[in-house]
Order: sequence, then C-alpha cells, then structure tokens
Amino acid sequence: MTTTHRARSEHGLDHRAEGGPGDPTSLDDEALRADRRDRLFTAMATHDLDVLVLGRPAEVTFASGARQLWTAGSRPFGPACVVVASTGRTHLLAVSDHGVPPEVAHDDLFGLSWNPVNLVASLAAIGGLAAARRVGTTSSSPGFSRLVAAVAPDAEVVDGGPALEQARSPKSPEEVARIVAATAIAEAGLTAMVDALVPGVTERQLLATYLERIAAVGAPTPPTEGVVCATPRTGPVDRRSIATDAPIEAGQLVVLDPGGFHRGYEGGVGRTLVVGDEVTAAQRDLARRSRESLDAVIATCRPGATGADLCAAWTAAGAPLPPAPLAVGVGLGVEPPVIGAGIGHRHVLAPRTVLAVTGWVATEGVGGYLERDLVLVDETGPQVLSTYGRGPAGEGP
Amino acid sequence: MPETRTGGQVTTTVNGSTVPAVADRPGMRRERHQRLQDQMADHGLDGLLLLGTSAVAYATGAAAPGCDSARAALLRSVALVVAGAEAPHLFTPYPEGSPPELPAAHLHAAVVVDLDDGAAVLAEALRGLVGSGARIGCDEVPHPLVRALGEFELVSASGALAAAKLCKTPDELACIRAAQHINEQAMVDVLAFLRPGVRQTDLTARFLRRVFELGAETNGIDPIWQVMPLTKAEGPWTVHGDLAFPTPSSTQVLEEGDVIWVDTGIHVGGYASDFGRTWIVGDDPRPSARQQDQFARWRAVMDAVLACCRPGATAGELTRAAVDADGGRRPWIEHFYLAHSVGTDSAEMPLVGTDLGDAFDDAMVLAPGMVLVLEPVIWDDGAAGYRSEDIYAVTDDGWMALSDHPYDPFVAA
Repeated sequence: MTTTHRARSEHGLDHRAEGGPGDPTSLDDEALRADRRDRLFTAMATHDLDVLVLGRPAEVTFASGARQLWTAGSRPFGPACVVVASTGRTHLLAVSDHGVPPEVAHDDLFGLSWNPVNLVASLAAIGGLAAARRVGTTSSSPGFSRLVAAVAPDAEVVDGGPALEQARSPKSPEEVARIVAATAIAEAGLTAMVDALVPGVTERQLLATYLERIAAVGAPTPPTEGVVCATPRTGPVDRRSIATDAPIEAGQLVVLDPGGFHRGYEGGVGRTLVVGDEVTAAQRDLARRSRESLDAVIATCRPGATGADLCAAWTAAGAPLPPAPLAVGVGLGVEPPVIGAGIGHRHVLAPRTVLAVTGWVATEGVGGYLERDLVLVDETGPQVLSTYGRGPAGEGP
Repeated sequence: MPETRTGGQVTTTVNGSTVPAVADRPGMRRERHQRLQDQMADHGLDGLLLLGTSAVAYATGAAAPGCDSARAALLRSVALVVAGAEAPHLFTPYPEGSPPELPAAHLHAAVVVDLDDGAAVLAEALRGLVGSGARIGCDEVPHPLVRALGEFELVSASGALAAAKLCKTPDELACIRAAQHINEQAMVDVLAFLRPGVRQTDLTARFLRRVFELGAETNGIDPIWQVMPLTKAEGPWTVHGDLAFPTPSSTQVLEEGDVIWVDTGIHVGGYASDFGRTWIVGDDPRPSARQQDQFARWRAVMDAVLACCRPGATAGELTRAAVDADGGRRPWIEHFYLAHSVGTDSAEMPLVGTDLGDAFDDAMVLAPGMVLVLEPVIWDDGAAGYRSEDIYAVTDDGWMALSDHPYDPFVAA
C-alpha cells in the first residue's frame, strides 16, 4: 500500500457533485455515519468479536459509509471491509478515496487484487488483525477459513451475522427518514407507471418507464426490476416478477410494486390497479380481502410479536399465506427477518425495525391483488411509512 | 446484421460451428449442463451447490429480475447440479423464469439459505437428492448453511465452474453478441442526448429506458459516465497512484469539453454485454489534435493485440504486443487488465494483464470460443486520455468481433 501527503478531495467526492441534503446519491451525514459506527463496535463487543470481516455492499456501506459502484446480483463472499475493535478503525477495499468518507483514512484503504497472494499481503498489513482471537464473518466460502488463518493465525472464525443484525436492525430516526425519502422515490416511479398504464401497454414498457423515472430523480438503482405483474382474468393466477411483452388489456388487475434507494436505504410501495375505467364487484371484493388481511398483519407489527403472530394474523383474516414472504426487513436494502410460509416463525420483532409487509390474494377469473407497505415497528405501535393512497382497485392514489 | 469483422484467416467458426444469428437456448443449456457434469467428474464432485447470481444463471439457464445485491442474496435462487442427473435443480422465487424443458420435479420453491430455517430446508433437500456425506462444490456457504450441511464435504466450486465457462459455445457467443447489440443501440440514443448541462443520472434515465424497450433482460451495473481529470494529480487519490476508475455516477452536471469515460452493461439470456467508449461533452464535440492522437495510439494497441489473437497464442503475447505498440508503456489501468472475458459474469476468465502476473499470462493459451473484451487505456497526462472497449471471440483460426460500434466523436485516421 502506498500513501501520499496530498490533501484528499473534500469528502472524497468530486467538487462538482451536487451532494445537497436531498441528493439520493451523496455520502450520508457525518452524524449518521458516527451513530452506525458506534452501534457496530458496541455489537462487536456484545458478541466478543475482535474483528468483523464484511463482504456485501450493504454491510460495507453500514460500516464505512462509503459509496460503492452498484452492480446487480449477488457475488460470492470476499473481504471488502475489515472492522478492527482494538484500533477502532474500518479498513476498506477501495482503489481510490472517491466516495470514501474522511474518517476512513488513506492508510485504511486496500487495493483490488486478483492474486490471492496480494490479497493476503493487503490484509496482513491491517493493524490489529494478526492478534485477533475471534473473527466474525458475515458469510463464508470453502477455503475462506484458510485465508483468515493466513492473516490471523490464532483466530477462531465465527458467524458475524448476529452482531451485524444487532447493529443494523433498530433504525435511528435519521435512518427512518432515509427510508421515507427512498419510499418517495418509489412513489415517483409508481406515479410514472400509473400515468403510463393504458390498454395495450406492456409490462416491459412500464418497467422502462419506472427505471427512467427513478433515474431522472437522481436515484437510478432499483431494489428489483420485478415491479410489474399484469394478472390474468382467466385461469390460474401467479405472482410473476419477470416482465413480458404481452399487451395489457382493459380490465386486468395490474400489480405495480416499485422501490427506490436514498443513500443506500431502501424504500418501496406496492399497489394494484385496474387498467381502464371499469372495476368489477369481484375485483373490489378481492381488494377488500387483501386490505383486511394486510391491515391485520400491520396491526400485529409491534415489538415482541413473532413471525408466527404475523402469519396467524394474515390467515385469520381468511386468505392463505402467499408463496412469497409476508414480511421482510428493510434498511440498507433488504435484511433479516424473512417471515412467511415456512420461514421466520420464531423470529421476535425488535423495536425500531422496519418491515416491508406484502399482501397478495388471487382468485381465478378475477386476477391477483398485491399491496406492500413499509412499517416501522415502534413501541407506540406500527407506523406505516408509505403515504401513497390505498384506494379501492382502479381508483389509484 | 452488419458484416462481421474478423481477423487471421477469414472464418467465423468455433470448433467447426458457425456462430448463429440467434442462440438455440435449450441446446445451449444442454451443452452447459454436460460441461458441468464433465467437470464434476474431473474434480470428483457429487454435486455443485451454487448461490451466486451469475453461477445460478449459468448452471440452470433460469431468468430472474435484476436485483440489488442485498435482495439477490437474501431472496436468492439456488442451483444444485447432481452428478449423473439429466438436469439441474432450481430453487427459486421466480419459477416463471425457469427453462421450459426443466422437469417439474427439478423446480423447487425458494429457500432462504442465509437464515437457519431456510438452510435446514435446503439441507433436507440435499440429503434426498445427493445423499448424506456427499462431496459438494460450493461458491458461497453462508454460516446457517455451514451449520445445516455439517455432514457434507464442502469444497470450492471455482475450479469446475471456471473450467466449464472458459470457452464459450457458438450459442453463448450469439447471446453475448445479442446483448452487446442492444447495449450499442441504446448508446446511440444516449450519445444524441449528451450536451452541456445534463446530469450523469439524466444519461442513465435515457439509457435504462432504451435498453429495456430494446429487449434487455436485466441491467447489470449503474451506468458509468465518469468525468476524467486532465492530470492524474487532480485525483481522486488512489492507493497505487494510477487512475481512479470506475467511480459511481451521481447528479453531477456535465460541462462543455468534459472528457467522459462511459461504461455500461446489460444481460440477454443471462449473458453480459460490456460497452466502453470515450465521449466529449459539447454541442458539437470535436476531438483536438492531441485527443485524436490518443485515439490513434489506442487504435494501434488494439491492432497489435488483434494481430496476435489466434488459438495457441498466449495471453502473455497479447500483453507484450500491447506494451510494444505503445512505446514500452503498459496501456491499461494498474488495478485492472488489458482484457477480460464476459459470460454470465461481466468479468470472468481469461483475465489478461492482472496482478496474477506474467507467468500466469504466459500459461494462458488462447482457444476457440474464448472471449476477450479488450480495454486498453491511453493516458496522456495534461489532456486526460482515451479508453474504449470492444469484444472479440477467438475463432478456429483468428478472431471475430462481437461488438460493432463507431467511436464518435473520434474518427479513425
């Protein structure tokens, strides 16, 4: 690793980047970064971790505050960020200081290597790692423990997931504000799709409209490209996430389920509309059933409730559990818990977590109806963070 | 389709077969499955358990919406290839993306393997499909899966997977060419929209709309429109003193005369495109004589590398040709490479000119079906530099281009 004495660019960002308080792509505030760091070191102490090795971009954002290049999909685990308790420092895989906050110093950066020998040399230079006894990692791969043994010979490799979950799950008011801002981006995308929803339009065209809009408001990366599903009026009804080129016909129920990111925090909102002006009684009934079930689940989103409680609230209202999860944690992207059919029933909701709660009901001959709202699990009761109207099918916002 | 540019002997066959205009996707999936079976036999594996998005796409051919990395991990698709089985197994939240020929018994509900209860479900499935104690190649093993698969022998999948992916079949090359064609068409529209005052994210908005209208299946990367400094000293600061590239886009406003390095990529049939060009921001952008000279140097490097590109040549010959063509300078970025391949990953083997070193490059022998995205960089301190990427496949006796895009506003001499 080499260092220079040249002054770093201000906040590690290009001088011409806007970076104002409302900019969804700028680095986050110093106070929020410091709060996250404090929570992470506290959680490491709770779980007796000397070092935490992080690999996924959201984890790296949480620990370092750095803005990384967004790529779609999940990659195998590798060390992208190393947090050392004894020194209080956060070391980051980054070639440059662009998008790296000032508290992560030039000496804390290590470069990209394709050669494992060079990677080991970079990691070995990290102060405090060699003496570590317990190294937490957030995932693993065959051979990863050998890599750790090469740089921390006396260390036991343990699951760092619980420590990270402790740090990440409870959201500060500032983090909730980011999620609300991200939800506003999702709502902008939803509005664009609603405006484009006319007979003959395709799912692909609606997806293109959504992606264009979120980019135009300065936040081009989607949580998922699976945002549109036109449900059939005849035959079996499945929730699909891959857009087709089939023209959507008047009278179809169409699921619009967009998301957005604000400084790494995810927001989202899901609604279902009828194409055209005519809404049938059966479609209104489907919407009513969906809403009643979803409201029952949201009312259950209180600290101490279990995943089983949420599932029971859904089924008590009469509809079967959907195949996709009923609730998923949201913060810097999605995070545990995952609650639904066969998963997460023993999970106990912690205060200040945010859940994306999704209701889905389907009836052959009518179509499918989805609503998704983001809910803050608060001591004072569940708070719905999305503001987009939940009007009857076809009435829109 | 324009005439395909080729080099060496003028043939476009790969192991005797022509690259088709449209890929035979079921045939392509069969061929990949057989390659994985062969590699599993060579590596002594009873199964391959794959969690990474690109590895699942390769092993199963299943489509899935592009997702943020956190969602793509927690709510992932999982592939299981069992030695001797007729088809892979797919566990997915997106059953609509499974290949039509996949037997119903091989399509399974999604498993959340990053959490303990989901990992237990997958472990139970593995006991039934592969048998307890089996030797399984894995790309990633989250801790819950480590706990759930204690009775299995878990080893790295990378050797088997990389060997299967190294040389593309003609159908795979057709997918890469199709993805690149959509990417290139969209960039024609984006370039027409480029002018002083637009933001980087405005270009992204135009790009994303166009690629999906044109038939992209997923977008792979937040598009890069990086404004290059005139000198390296202007920064950003880097660990090695070379250029910072790529840096993520923002709402940064582009100004007259800015030199921007553009890099985008989408997927078709699971296969990545890779588009790289140097653009100049202006109402009527014209490269200066100095900028035009940078382009001429870049072209000379490309020509020198392509002149060596044939089966039997080594990657080391390519790097030496590039260095010689640029007067002894190493015309690529310190932390990257002269060339990489694309497949279901946006960068995969062969990697040419990395920190794996000269011995690695000299041992990498080009073979028909290998793909090379050549991305030399000409840096001209004081006047920024020139970088573009073009995609080539190694054919039976030379090379053929999989990309086909002008260099506007630069013109060949």
